[in-house]
Amino acid sequence: MAFKIASSPHVSTSLHTNTVMKRVALCLIPGIAVQSYYFGFGTLVQILLAVSVAYLAEAAVMKLRNKNIKATLSDNSALVTACLLAVAIPPLAPWWLIVIGTLFAIVIVKQLYGGLGNNVFNPAMAAYVLLLISFPVQMTSWVAPQTIAINPASMLTSVQTIFEINPSFTAEYFRLGVDGIAMATPLDTLKTDLSMGLTTTESLAKPIFTGMGAEGWFWVNLAYLVGGLVMLKLKVIRWHISVAIIASLFLCASFGFLVSPDTFVSPLMHLFSGGTMLAAFFIATDPVTAATSPRGRLIFGAMIGVLIYLIRTFGGYPDAVAFAVLLANMCAPFIDYYVRPRSYGHRTGN
Amino acid sequence: MLTLLEQLDKGTLWQSPGGIHPPQLKTLSNQSTIARLPLAQRFVVPVPLVGEQAILTVAVGDQVLKGQMLTEGTGFIYLPVHSPTSGRVIAIEQHATNHPSSLPTLSCIIEADGQDAWCELIPHSLEQLSKNQILDKIKYAGIAGMGGAAFPSHVKLNPASEIDLVIINGVECEPYISSDDRLMRDYSDEILKGIGVIHHLLNPQRIIIAIEDNKPEAAKAMQDAVQRSTLPTGVVRVTVIPTKYPSGGEKQLIQIITGKEVPSGHIPAQLGIVVHNVGTAYAIQEAIYQGKPLIERVVTLTGEQIGQPGNYWLPIGTTITDALSAVNFSQSNAQKVIVGGPMMGYALADLDVPILKGTNCLLAPSHNEIAPDVDEKACIRCGECAIACPALLLPQQLFWHAKAEEYDKAASFNLKDCIECGCCSYVCPSDIPLVEYYRVAKSALKIEAEEKHQAEQAKIRFEARLQRLEDEKNAREAKAKEAAAKRQASMKSTDKDAVAAAMARIAAKKAQATSATTTPEAPQSTVDPKKAAINAAIERAKAKKATQANTVSRDDELVTSTADENVDDKQAKIAAAVARAKAKKAAQANSESTAQTPNSVETTVAGTEPSADAVDDKKARVAAAVAKAKAKKLAQANQTDDTVIEAEPTTDAVDDKKARVAAAVAKAKAKKLAQANQTDDTVIEAEPTTDAVDDKKARVAAAVAKAKAKKLAQANQTDDTVIEAAPSVDVVDDKKARVAAAVAKAKAKKLAQANQTDDTVIEAAPSVDVVDDKKARVAAAVAKAKAKKLAQASQPDIDEAASQPTVDVESTVNIKPDVALTDASDSADLSPEQVKKAKVAAAVAKAKAKQLAKRAEQEEQ
Repeated sequence: MAFKIASSPHVSTSLHTNTVMKRVALCLIPGIAVQSYYFGFGTLVQILLAVSVAYLAEAAVMKLRNKNIKATLSDNSALVTACLLAVAIPPLAPWWLIVIGTLFAIVIVKQLYGGLGNNVFNPAMAAYVLLLISFPVQMTSWVAPQTIAINPASMLTSVQTIFEINPSFTAEYFRLGVDGIAMATPLDTLKTDLSMGLTTTESLAKPIFTGMGAEGWFWVNLAYLVGGLVMLKLKVIRWHISVAIIASLFLCASFGFLVSPDTFVSPLMHLFSGGTMLAAFFIATDPVTAATSPRGRLIFGAMIGVLIYLIRTFGGYPDAVAFAVLLANMCAPFIDYYVRPRSYGHRTGN
Repeated sequence: MLTLLEQLDKGTLWQSPGGIHPPQLKTLSNQSTIARLPLAQRFVVPVPLVGEQAILTVAVGDQVLKGQMLTEGTGFIYLPVHSPTSGRVIAIEQHATNHPSSLPTLSCIIEADGQDAWCELIPHSLEQLSKNQILDKIKYAGIAGMGGAAFPSHVKLNPASEIDLVIINGVECEPYISSDDRLMRDYSDEILKGIGVIHHLLNPQRIIIAIEDNKPEAAKAMQDAVQRSTLPTGVVRVTVIPTKYPSGGEKQLIQIITGKEVPSGHIPAQLGIVVHNVGTAYAIQEAIYQGKPLIERVVTLTGEQIGQPGNYWLPIGTTITDALSAVNFSQSNAQKVIVGGPMMGYALADLDVPILKGTNCLLAPSHNEIAPDVDEKACIRCGECAIACPALLLPQQLFWHAKAEEYDKAASFNLKDCIECGCCSYVCPSDIPLVEYYRVAKSALKIEAEEKHQAEQAKIRFEARLQRLEDEKNAREAKAKEAAAKRQASMKSTDKDAVAAAMARIAAKKAQATSATTTPEAPQSTVDPKKAAINAAIERAKAKKATQANTVSRDDELVTSTADENVDDKQAKIAAAVARAKAKKAAQANSESTAQTPNSVETTVAGTEPSADAVDDKKARVAAAVAKAKAKKLAQANQTDDTVIEAEPTTDAVDDKKARVAAAVAKAKAKKLAQANQTDDTVIEAEPTTDAVDDKKARVAAAVAKAKAKKLAQANQTDDTVIEAAPSVDVVDDKKARVAAAVAKAKAKKLAQANQTDDTVIEAAPSVDVVDDKKARVAAAVAKAKAKKLAQASQPDIDEAASQPTVDVESTVNIKPDVALTDASDSADLSPEQVKKAKVAAAVAKAKAKQLAKRAEQEEQ
């Protein structure tokens, strides 16, 4: 009689890593949809490109490492990384940009550190920073929101632009706003205006700021927030990091805004522009590179929020999500070492 | 702010962190009442303690009755093992046991005769028994915690500190298992009676019966039983707690009920709390009111592969094969059979293993019931495990370090506080067998700690040895100096005599060398009368000291006579010096012992009779008092014979140093033993072989026995044991001594029961003699018997006496035979001279023994 030996427990939940990753990717859908609505189909093309490159790169590395390719690809972690990078870069950035970024993210940041679970840095954000530093022009050429652009990008033109097929379609072409001026992102606009001595009120009078905060960006952020809340509901992520980021950013921004409303951007603008919500729910919550204990995660999140604010306000870059996340990644092991929960039976003065 | 008691009465519950909600699946097995299966043919009863704390009382081929004890042993946490049915012991062999490892353990294989006939059962009521008797009854019923850990219950029922709260654990949080559920439904009144016993023993302020809210029927049944019970109202309460795994864990349950946490590394008794399983309460009730030992338990047989899932009374020792085949178990491909629940149970490799006292469930799941075996994937540090962990650990960090084999780092994340509940593995999205990693890490840490401990012990031993060698060297030098000084002093006064004496000594030695036994009388005449006089003077002085100085009060204040032909004056002097030194030491020891410092009193005196006993200070004081009185009496009786207090035939083989070393070893061992037996009530007196029984031994035995009798009277303990182990000291190791102790105790009891004043108890000379502390009279009888024996041995037909084999029931114990041999050969060496002395000694001994016997009797009364 042959009996199967196994260590207890003999039952487990049905929620597995690949499901978790798949759910993360699915929860990106509202954000991607809204982003595509406002900034054209370029994002979808970028996602397609990134995902295929990511899977190919991961498969190649697995082959080199003599590991099970199928098992690794099926954990869906490459899918999430590729999606995050793809939604973070300008929708009409040239194809090689996303290819380089994805390769860097998968091959160097993730697999060279030992693959899933062993990477120190968030692969998508590390790749984003690489691209931002290496190709600043391409990386800052955001198209104008379709609603206020002179030349809204169609599916075809997007593809042509990304693959640099038609030289007349450049990123600059799509950046022209209703006023005929090439548009920067709202945060960039604010930063430039403030540095030029304008007040926030004056800056906010520009066409890119319409209705609720920045045109398009507000709704994109809101969509990511919705996706994030779904993830919370599904227990794909826990609340600590997201709440800490939003709370700390809100507090910092409120403080600045209260001190000097003319020279500091409002908290609402901070929360609902740029990559704030994407970072708070999808990027910083990458468990591998975050702190691991609940208290540690609060610290980790708060650190990201503060760093985002500091870099946006005082730093050289209009948005700061990637840098803030990477800096916090570096601190995560340190936080984990010092922030440990009190174990049962270790209550002082029990 | 409400007090804890008020909150307990209100049923306030606290939150236990973490936990999970796996599917319960209890309805599979809890729909019908507890049933019985047909009696199996063969039972496997593991007796793991045999050889360590216990001995077997049955042999292969013996008929046993249901409930008959199969082992006897000592030790605080020793639990006897009973036969689950009547039948025949067909083998005692190594057999795979019910353990994840399936490692073989010594087991009694019993073939049932089908009669299932009980041995004699003695029911009691609580009023008939003292608390100690109740505890003993629980202990000898072999009751262990039925929740799974199988910790001896009598230990938990006899805590060192006050117990305010007893929690009766009927939570049963593991999926599938319903044995406690069913027991509570079907036997609630019996459980309440058991709780009554616990209440009687611990007298807590509250007893909380905790039941999860997924067992409303059980809660109702227990509630009704509480209403019916005769226990004081308000003391017992049924508290229903929310269903969550692992609320049934001891620590978690305490947290839920009281809000307190058991400090890490401590037991709940620290908080004044004790947790008992409902099954244990039931077993206690059976033991007290029915007299039944724990030989069966309720086991849940469940899982989709079992034809008739349910709860069954299974005798301990039923093999799992038998149990499963009786409920139509159908084996699937790559079948798992799990002992315990799906969360903490272990899969068996071999089904021919017995049901044990802690086996509450056998789970034979089908493939779609349990998780398929999947490969472990990378940890993504999602932290779900930390959220699920009821011990508030960081399982992901523990895993990280355990996998990297950085066990010290894992330990720094409080690995030892992991209760291995399996919540982390359950929620792990990467299918990592986390608990497995922790078990490996824990084992590694344990091994490491053990090695460290052993290394430390070795170091201590080595240092002690160096110290001892150094001490011996110093003592030797001091002795040599003293002897030289004395020799010089005597040389000055009577040079010629000394020279003559030296010559005579040389001649004597030569004569002895050439014909060792032919001229025993010759050297006698060469003993210098002057030296003898000096010795006598010394001895007289000592005798005075012994009788007058109150502090010098050793019963073994012995003085060597110079009668032996091999003892020349020098040796005698040295002996005298040693004796004096020892007397001093003893006096110091005594004064120390009055100051309540526990020590072991060295009874080695005169360098010929090394014996050691490790007695506690109380005993020592009692013994000292007796000895003092006796020494006085002796001094009076022997006033005419002012040179000899006590004629003590000396052996030629034993020299001073050897004897002392032996004594030291014996002492150390006795101490060790005393420590090992935590109750500290076992005294082992190890004596090197001497030629014949002397009255001293008898006196020591009697004194110890008396002391014990006294202690017994005070503490009302029943398992104080005095053992005089007489084999050559180096043969006795700790373990053997313990075994001997167990045997001796058992025998002593038997003896006491059978024939309390039997003078024909034959204990050949210095072989193990047993003094049951309970019966000081037996001690006296033994002493008397010994005295008689001595008298016999003193008769001309020594050889016959010596060649008499040791009549000894204990010859089964492997340390005995060589003892008897040594004794015999030693006795054969007696010279007529010694015989004469021995006769005198015997007379004295007999007289004393009689006195002692009387006194012991009075003492006992």
